Amino acid sequence: MADTLLQGLPVSALRSAAPLLLVLLGECLTQRVGRINLGVEGQMLVGAVAGYGVTAVSGQPWLGMVAGAAAGALLSAVYALLTVAARADQFASGLAVLMLGFGVSAYAGSGLVGLRIEGFALGAGGTTPTLWLAVALVPLIGLWLYGTRTGLVWRAVGESPPAASAAGITPWKVIVAGIAAGGVLSGLGGAALSIDHTRTWAEGMTAGRGLIAVGLVIVARWNPWLTLPAALLFGLAEALSLRLQAGGSAVPAHLLHTLPYLASLVVFAVTCARLKGGGGPEALRAVFAR
Amino acid sequence: MNAARLHRSAIALGGFAALAGAFFLLIGRGPIDMLVAIAQASVGSGYAVGESLLRATPILLCALATLVPARLGLVSVGAEGQLYFGALAGTGAMLLAPSSLSLVLLGGVIGGAVWALVPALLRVVADVNETISTLMLNYVAALLVTWLVYGPWKNPQSQGWPASIDFTEAARLPLLGESRVHVGLLVALVLGIALHLLFTRSRWGLVLDVLRSNPRLAPLAGLSVTRQVLLTMVIGGALAGLAGIAETSSVQGRLQASFANGAGLSGFLVAWLAGNRVLPAMALALLVGGLLAAGDGLQMMTSVPSSAVLVVQGLMFVAMLGAGAWKKGGAGG
Repeated sequence: MADTLLQGLPVSALRSAAPLLLVLLGECLTQRVGRINLGVEGQMLVGAVAGYGVTAVSGQPWLGMVAGAAAGALLSAVYALLTVAARADQFASGLAVLMLGFGVSAYAGSGLVGLRIEGFALGAGGTTPTLWLAVALVPLIGLWLYGTRTGLVWRAVGESPPAASAAGITPWKVIVAGIAAGGVLSGLGGAALSIDHTRTWAEGMTAGRGLIAVGLVIVARWNPWLTLPAALLFGLAEALSLRLQAGGSAVPAHLLHTLPYLASLVVFAVTCARLKGGGGPEALRAVFAR
Repeated sequence: MNAARLHRSAIALGGFAALAGAFFLLIGRGPIDMLVAIAQASVGSGYAVGESLLRATPILLCALATLVPARLGLVSVGAEGQLYFGALAGTGAMLLAPSSLSLVLLGGVIGGAVWALVPALLRVVADVNETISTLMLNYVAALLVTWLVYGPWKNPQSQGWPASIDFTEAARLPLLGESRVHVGLLVALVLGIALHLLFTRSRWGLVLDVLRSNPRLAPLAGLSVTRQVLLTMVIGGALAGLAGIAETSSVQGRLQASFANGAGLSGFLVAWLAGNRVLPAMALALLVGGLLAAGDGLQMMTSVPSSAVLVVQGLMFVAMLGAGAWKKGGAGG
């Protein structure tokens, strides 16, 4: 029992984590420029449905990934318009975008329910291309954020828009770019979920992954390098819950499915207790300071 | 002031009509026809009005549930989970005491309060951001309900359909007259007015206002933020729990999976758009309820899937948020 439970667990945990990791990286960049976007859940959903639909029609999973990214970016533009142009509240705007994404994806996907697609071919050891994509982006984004001039500009805007402005940066442009980056990556994450991980479309299939990403960014301390372990935590809990279920565990499936949420919440709580509100981009504290 | 508000409403309404019209054109429907059909399906008949009020009830209670902690400056997004856990606890009470409506309602209220107490304690003890903890707990509560109705509480007579046994006649919330609208609506309206009076007239309302605008004043004024965090979160949870048990014991008549239909999130947006003021939240909840009820009618009348109405609801919130913040923005960034 213990053997079958643990065999290949790292790879299945990574596969469960890959869609979340993409979203997490995106939300990490968005929060770095000082915005908390709860709409990533909706962006993930439209990414999942667009990616799945395009893959089903064209038979090209990579084309589907591109479509997913585009759909996520498009929906994130609504969030950018609301929070940057109209200066609406971040949380409320995020939830409105979430709702819009849920509705749009349910409407667009009504003909896709129950359909199955080919998706990507599995690589060595059961790995998949989206897994590699997600893992490869971690060092790329990490190096970019901490090692380049534009990375510094983004961090500066996240710390203090007025100071960045004084240094000749136009903060709102950077903020929009950060939101768009989040849109692209959450759309990719959604597409990775429907095209690669589940190979099917179902209404609301992201099941809170986007919202969990918002919390895990804090666990990862807004550091792209740390998004990998944070996403793995969720992936591990999910992979374990599926295995326990398949292994005929005495604990019912629906209770096991609470495991990833509870595990994320516990780690989140421990992180918060240790950070005590500090550690994030300064401009975010304006959101949290109450 | 009033002119500004009127101006804003006009922008929101115009923006919404434009967005919704564009969406209807996109899916190949006449925008005017669809808007008329929506109006008809929400207030066009006595039955339609009843359905609108029915959909508005949990949204109003969830808006109040969001609004109470928000008066202290807390951003709780947990009404949905509290609604589920309230329904769960109330159903548990019904299984134990099948003929006591008051115990069932009490169970619902306490269940919602307990589910809200978790993020409140996390906030007080470990400084855990309540927005994110409540979001995660929403999924846990919904999964607990799903587990129960597929497993231990599944009605053996329901032939595969996952639901608890039917509530006994005695444990059902009474209906208003001949309609499907239940007493919960009246309770929600009364509670709303009571909260409005408390916020605007009582010492407690002032305490919340003071703490929201400057938490650092608290120790100087001899006030305890901790106590208010726990109190407002628990009151909010109790209201959402009431929404859950009212839906279950009246509209559905049994506990089912995913019955909330996003009432918690709609409630959050209603509360926020109302600026966390009770009276505007009441009006907005009725509006959103009407729109959602129209969705069900629309599906029958025009064969547009109800998910299209979710899109329209989302567009409505987007238009209102955009318009609401416009005047603050003024010129420049």
